[in-house]
Amino acid sequence: MTVYSIAYKNLLRKKTRTALTAGGIMLSAWVLATLLGFNRGYQQGLNRDIDNMGFQVLLTAKGCPYEAATLMLKGGTGLRYMDESIVKDVFKHPEVEKVTPMLMHGVFDPDKGENGAIAAYLGVDPATFPSMKPYLEFKQGGWFTDDKAYEAVLGYEAAELETREAGDLMLVVGVEKPVKVVGVLKRSGTQDDGTIFMPLGAVRGMFDRKGKLTGLGIKVKKEADIPAFENKLYDLPDVQVVSMAQVKSTIMNLVNSARVIAMGIAGIALIIAMAGVINTVLMSVMERYAEIGIIKSMGAMPFDVFRLIWTETAILCGLGGAAGIGLAFVTAGLSEAAVRYFLPYAPNGALIALDPAITGFAFVLITAGGLLSGLYPAWRAARVRPLEAIRIEGEQ
Amino acid sequence: MKKVFLSLFFSAWAAPAFAAVGCDLNDPDRDVERLFPSSTGYKVRYLTVKAAGGEALLARIEKRLGDRFKGLYETIDVPYTVYDIYRGTEPLGHIHGVNQKGQFGGIQVFLALDKSGTIRSFYIQKLTSRAAKDLRSKEFGAQFEGLALPDFSGYDPVRASAKPGTPAASLKAPERAAADFPNVMRAVKKNLILMDELVFTEKKK
Repeated sequence: MTVYSIAYKNLLRKKTRTALTAGGIMLSAWVLATLLGFNRGYQQGLNRDIDNMGFQVLLTAKGCPYEAATLMLKGGTGLRYMDESIVKDVFKHPEVEKVTPMLMHGVFDPDKGENGAIAAYLGVDPATFPSMKPYLEFKQGGWFTDDKAYEAVLGYEAAELETREAGDLMLVVGVEKPVKVVGVLKRSGTQDDGTIFMPLGAVRGMFDRKGKLTGLGIKVKKEADIPAFENKLYDLPDVQVVSMAQVKSTIMNLVNSARVIAMGIAGIALIIAMAGVINTVLMSVMERYAEIGIIKSMGAMPFDVFRLIWTETAILCGLGGAAGIGLAFVTAGLSEAAVRYFLPYAPNGALIALDPAITGFAFVLITAGGLLSGLYPAWRAARVRPLEAIRIEGEQ
Repeated sequence: MKKVFLSLFFSAWAAPAFAAVGCDLNDPDRDVERLFPSSTGYKVRYLTVKAAGGEALLARIEKRLGDRFKGLYETIDVPYTVYDIYRGTEPLGHIHGVNQKGQFGGIQVFLALDKSGTIRSFYIQKLTSRAAKDLRSKEFGAQFEGLALPDFSGYDPVRASAKPGTPAASLKAPERAAADFPNVMRAVKKNLILMDELVFTEKKK
């Protein structure tokens, strides 16, 4: 008969208490695994949202309007240009993850309204712009086929106003060759809805702006200090920095707050589990005081008794921990629904991201915590003096 | 404050309920005075086929037009802007515009109608076409003055042809506007039918 089977049989002697203790450990493991999964899922979701924001910093020439509405307010004038070489200068900064060059152009269209109006076009780089605006989805068609193609992608409202659909042709004022509409975007609720996008190379060719940019969208690395980076950009000559970073900072604060809260609750769950284990195993040792004394009087060494009690704890924690991990998997959907119900904002995607690494870590942590808690009761059991234990039992 | 900011920010990500795009005068004060020189004021109403009669009304309008409504700009929930024109308290007529798909871009065709639905003025507010100058000319617009919905009943927008002998058949297309003239004709007929269904028929009721 091995020490494991003896430990197992000892646990079965008080089935209800064993079940309740294992249940407590199971609940702690469930809370721990779910919280760790939530921490991972929430961070992943918020990081996805940050990625979806596209660029966080926009660099323009000093005084240049940086979106179509301002350009129109200025009557289509006031565009200032940066040289293309600025892309290399910006990339020298280690904070930069990606950049996307843009060229805005406004043309007076005499056939808009009674006295004419400005039509604005935004030249974007087909290689970098789509990945910087991953939240833009297409209602029809897709992005340009080539940087110099006479093609356009229309924001939803621009498409409605111009009554264009994918495959239609449109005229650009002052340009003889028609432009083919290759895509219509879904509504995004941003200024992109009213924008006419064309390939950067084509816009440069149409309006003779070779090597010029009106804007450079910059996506910074997640860990970057954006305000410090923006200050560094001001060292570049004749540029202005338009910051869109406040939202990112707020989201990162949310991530950090969520991490602290989740870890705090997980810690409490672990402490509760440990307290339960100490209580149960110590009670079990006290109840078997005389029995342990008899075992020792029959020749068992203190280490044998210690090992027996510690093995009981290990079995209790192992079974409870495994059941808790299983419960976390089973109830992940329910937990996610509850979190979404109670949180004012929850990002898209899986909120409870359980994987082998997280569940393995939770299992090891719970088991290790349990074993640590079992040290004291096992030590007390190992120190039982046989004669004293038998005498006390006899007095009772 | 943080909560308000976050709600505002993230609401931009949510899918909002947008209506389809309408057709409004760019500068109503100036345009109303130009199209109805004797007017002293106007009121604006927003009408939709969806609210006025739904699918059944849409089907009737399409039947009268002789063509289906299509595309992003011709949905059942397009808000049609009707300007009711007044001299003092006396109603003078209405101004109403519609969006129409043209060869190279959107066409916005406005009609100024008197109380009986007869065209007083014709105005293309926006047009992307190589023949834009000709289609927006006074001479071209003047052809429509005095016409009403019955004059366009024989016009087939799918075939882009009018019954010989009808007033619509006598309208002349500018030389270079062969592609966009049928689009303008469809817009005028649609405009008149919408006004008849949404304003004049409602008034009779």
